[in-house]
Amino acid sequence: MVCIVPLMSIGHALLGLLEGGPRHGYDLKRAYDERFGQDRPLHYGQVYSTLSRLLKNGLVTEAGVEAGDGPERKRYAITDAGVTDVERWLSTPEKPEPYLQNTLYAKVVLALLSGRSAVEVLDTQRSAHLGTMRELTRRKADGDLADQLICDFALFHLEADLRWLELTAARVDQLAVEVKR
Amino acid sequence: MTLLRAEGLVKSFGKTHALDGAGITIRAGEVVAVMGPSGSGKSTLLHCLAGILPPDSGTVHYRDRELTSMNDGDRSELRRTEFGFVFQFGQLVPELTCLENVALPLRLSGMKRKDAERAANEWLARLEVDGVADQRPGETSGGQGQRVAVARALVTGPKVIFADEPTGALDSLNGERVMHLLTTAARETGAAVVLVTHEPRVAAYSDREVVVRDGRSRDVEFAR
Amino acid sequence: MNRTISDLALGVRLAVGGSRKSWVRLALQGLGIGMCVAVLVLAASIPGAFAARDAKGNLSEPQPQGTGPAPLLVENAYVAYRSDYIQGRYLKVLKADAPRPPGVEKLPGDGEIVLSPALAELLASPKGELLRPRFPQRVVGTIGQAGLTGPKDYTFYAGDDRIGESGGTKAYGFGVHYGGGGIAPILWLLSVVGIVVLLFPVLVFVGVAARLAAAQRDRRLAALRLVGAGASRVRLIASGEALVGALVGLAVGFGIFYAIRPFVDKISIAQLAIFPSDLTPSLGLVLLVVVAVPVLAVFTSLFAMRRTIIEPLGVVRQQKPVRRRLWWRLVPAIVGAALLGSQMGKINDTDRPEQWPVVIGVVLLMLGIPVLLPWLVERVVFRIRGGSPALQLAVRRLQLDSGTAARVVGGVAVVLAGTVTLQMILAGVEQEVVSKEKRQANLAVLTVSTDENVAVPGLREALEKAATVRSVQEISRTGASAGEANYVGIVIGPCDALKTQATITNCADGKAYYAPDSGGGRAVEPGAELTLGDPRKGVRWKAPAQWEPATARNGGLYLTPAAAAGIPVDNTSREFMAELDLSVPDAAEHARNAIAAYPWQTFTSFAGQNDIPEMERVFGLVRQGLYAGTAITLLLAGASMLLMALEQVRERRRPLAVLAASGVPRGTLARSLLWQNGVPLVLSTAVSVATGIGLGALSMKVSDAEIAFDWPGIALVTAASAALVLAVTALTLPSLRRATGALGLRTE
Repeated sequence: MVCIVPLMSIGHALLGLLEGGPRHGYDLKRAYDERFGQDRPLHYGQVYSTLSRLLKNGLVTEAGVEAGDGPERKRYAITDAGVTDVERWLSTPEKPEPYLQNTLYAKVVLALLSGRSAVEVLDTQRSAHLGTMRELTRRKADGDLADQLICDFALFHLEADLRWLELTAARVDQLAVEVKR
Repeated sequence: MTLLRAEGLVKSFGKTHALDGAGITIRAGEVVAVMGPSGSGKSTLLHCLAGILPPDSGTVHYRDRELTSMNDGDRSELRRTEFGFVFQFGQLVPELTCLENVALPLRLSGMKRKDAERAANEWLARLEVDGVADQRPGETSGGQGQRVAVARALVTGPKVIFADEPTGALDSLNGERVMHLLTTAARETGAAVVLVTHEPRVAAYSDREVVVRDGRSRDVEFAR
Repeated sequence: MNRTISDLALGVRLAVGGSRKSWVRLALQGLGIGMCVAVLVLAASIPGAFAARDAKGNLSEPQPQGTGPAPLLVENAYVAYRSDYIQGRYLKVLKADAPRPPGVEKLPGDGEIVLSPALAELLASPKGELLRPRFPQRVVGTIGQAGLTGPKDYTFYAGDDRIGESGGTKAYGFGVHYGGGGIAPILWLLSVVGIVVLLFPVLVFVGVAARLAAAQRDRRLAALRLVGAGASRVRLIASGEALVGALVGLAVGFGIFYAIRPFVDKISIAQLAIFPSDLTPSLGLVLLVVVAVPVLAVFTSLFAMRRTIIEPLGVVRQQKPVRRRLWWRLVPAIVGAALLGSQMGKINDTDRPEQWPVVIGVVLLMLGIPVLLPWLVERVVFRIRGGSPALQLAVRRLQLDSGTAARVVGGVAVVLAGTVTLQMILAGVEQEVVSKEKRQANLAVLTVSTDENVAVPGLREALEKAATVRSVQEISRTGASAGEANYVGIVIGPCDALKTQATITNCADGKAYYAPDSGGGRAVEPGAELTLGDPRKGVRWKAPAQWEPATARNGGLYLTPAAAAGIPVDNTSREFMAELDLSVPDAAEHARNAIAAYPWQTFTSFAGQNDIPEMERVFGLVRQGLYAGTAITLLLAGASMLLMALEQVRERRRPLAVLAASGVPRGTLARSLLWQNGVPLVLSTAVSVATGIGLGALSMKVSDAEIAFDWPGIALVTAASAALVLAVTALTLPSLRRATGALGLRTE
């Protein structure tokens, strides 16, 4: 799961980055690493395989080739379908579960980069989290001690997420300044 | 059925804008969590909603009555008869026993001492704190005190209970106990609960949440 | 030692801690203690002031002993003018270098006079118009302060060469040493009770003022404990704080005293007006005040802390204080009452009782009030059941801590009790004086008496010529004794004259009458052998063999001239009774002016010129002083009650705010405050009025006076304390309003 989530979101992340304008694959890798890949930079292979998947799905197009050969000479641009996909992705809360921060963080940054409401992203996520917490709380009320303890474990983790969401929401303006620099 | 509806609430304290166009709708019997960072105006929203504070502008309707145009005495009476309140701490009169504290709202509405104290005793038992009936609040634990406060809020059979960080001064276990008893009792009596909290686990006792940020509220259900 | 001083200094630093609140507290303390100090210093200077008066009076007395020919002849004169007495001296200078009395620069020659400033002013004013004929002399000077006992003294020295003709008293100089004349016993009692009653609350309030805002202080001290100060050091630091208040109070007190001192000569009653320079506190008493006030302040603040345990994390008041016991609280009151009771009836017109039992009795009874009140408040408050929610809130609050309230109102109670006592004594004295005046015989008669053995030719004629005199009767007075103690007064005169003195029937010359003394029992038997005048060397005289009964204010023998045969004229003093035409205003003054030529030979008294207005002025002034003192102490008590109430509102801000938010009407909360202030004060007023009446009655019994109740005064005092409760509550309302606003709900 830990590896899947980033992989799932690399495509959206690249799409988000392309919203700022067409870029070379190499540019995209650099931009991604700068913002999201602090301790785990992308491999070129990952970038090109993701781009080709996006290309196949019609979410990006090739926006011209510079003189020379090789994939690194190609410029990619986002398509309308790609923009819609980014939007849908941003406004769909992640399934509340632990260790979401990478995806959520990417969503927030991309929302900021693309001029969308990062707070809305966070609030949507909060809503989803709270929904799950409600469900767990209800289950706890009806269950025995074992159920309660198990639910509490999940509740405390979700609460930590929610606290992070709160904190991020409170500092979103600060983040926007840094991201756009 | 919509019980309470606030629209376009604006309230400033000096240069601080506590509320800047907030709105909220509360339906009968639902538990609504009002969330948001500290200083966002949650408590001010609750105070306006309950008619404790008159907003600078905007309207608050309780059923068909407009709170902001009522005078202080009428609002006091409304609060006494239709609303109940639970706060974070220090809400019980330290000199009165727990039983007298719970009986106080009934007595203020003119009920005889004996009847008021009988009703109060029933509520103390329901909240499992009848053991401290004759003690003063200072002699009880925090959790017991909060449950006495909940009993006092519920004793008049209010339609809305306003709870402002009711578990703020309690540890998790006591907090959950209070929340469980509060929401269960409210559901049983059909009272709506407006729950101001910054704690997600407390908010999880609600049916839905409203987020307040920078004096504006975002009613997740009604805003869209 | 160093550490002790630095701890004290820290306390001082905390007391003047810079925040506005601490300054306000210090100012209140200073003012409260200051007022007390001012009263104490004033009390400390009064003995000195009156001693200075006596001393100056003695310095002006002629000195009759000396060798060789006397340089001066002096006659004392008492000139009555309306309700004032002008006491002066007529002089005849025999030698050029004759000694001068103090304050007189140049002795007046024949037909000259020197006047006191007050008398000069009276003579110059329209009010003195009818007095002027009696002082026709040329004014050659003013008597200086050295020769006056007070700024309102009416006195004079007049030169008159006629003195030699009728004898006169030889004077070799001025200034004698007499013992103090002493004041009337009932006045003495009044002053003892007055001083005790006024000073006692002062001491109580030094204590109260020193403890103003004690809860705040306790919180500060708890913070000190948190950083590691030990319990005993905290006490030292608290002493430092109390000390500052006391020292500021001392400064303020002396300031107030010296600020009001220049105005003591403006007092309108002559007997009470004092030269400001004479009003100097005696050094010993000042030292006592300077030492006692700070000691008392520190002691009470430490005493107040004894039940308070200051822990690092806050102040713990021992929750369940020991139940207050009654028996020892009754001891002071009972012992006090017993002491006073043991002195009952021992004061009469001349004797003074033992001083100490009375003083101690009064002090103990007063002490009984603040000692008894906490017990009573506690009892009553625990009895109260039911009642409205407002009453319930107040009563519960008082049940938790009735001590603080009881202590504050204890101070008020002492003041009230003292005031009521003084009012009763005043009322009693007033009644006595007034009724005595009223019982005086014939109000239309001016009595002119002359000294024994001194013939004043032409006096009767002069009197008869006065326009306002209708007729003149003449009697002679003497006295006789049968044995050592049996003294009987004798009045001799024609029937008409006797009738002005006693009620007699079927009067004819030759008859004798006997009026029993008010004490009852015959002093003499008809036909008894009596000695006229001095029992050792007087003339023997046989009383008439039979007499008829009569009634008179002054008991004794009333003889027609024929029945008085055998009584030598030399042994009698003569008295003229001039019947006045009262339709003329100031008839008596016109008659007195008719005999102005005999200033020192005669003494006139006019019963119709009742001294009641004068007495009323004195009583009015004393009463005003009493009310002023009471008002000041009540204000002080009000201030501390207010502070207490404000502090309580502040402490309970949250519950109050929550109650208001939950829809408890503010009126209910305000009423609970009213109850909370009112219940202890009502109790203390009841106790103090009861104690005051009891103490007043006891005091009056001790001096054997009739008990009189000054109900309007008592009502006033009670109303004042009720007003105090209302005022304090009203002043607390703004802070209640603030506390119950939504802002009170905010978490800090």
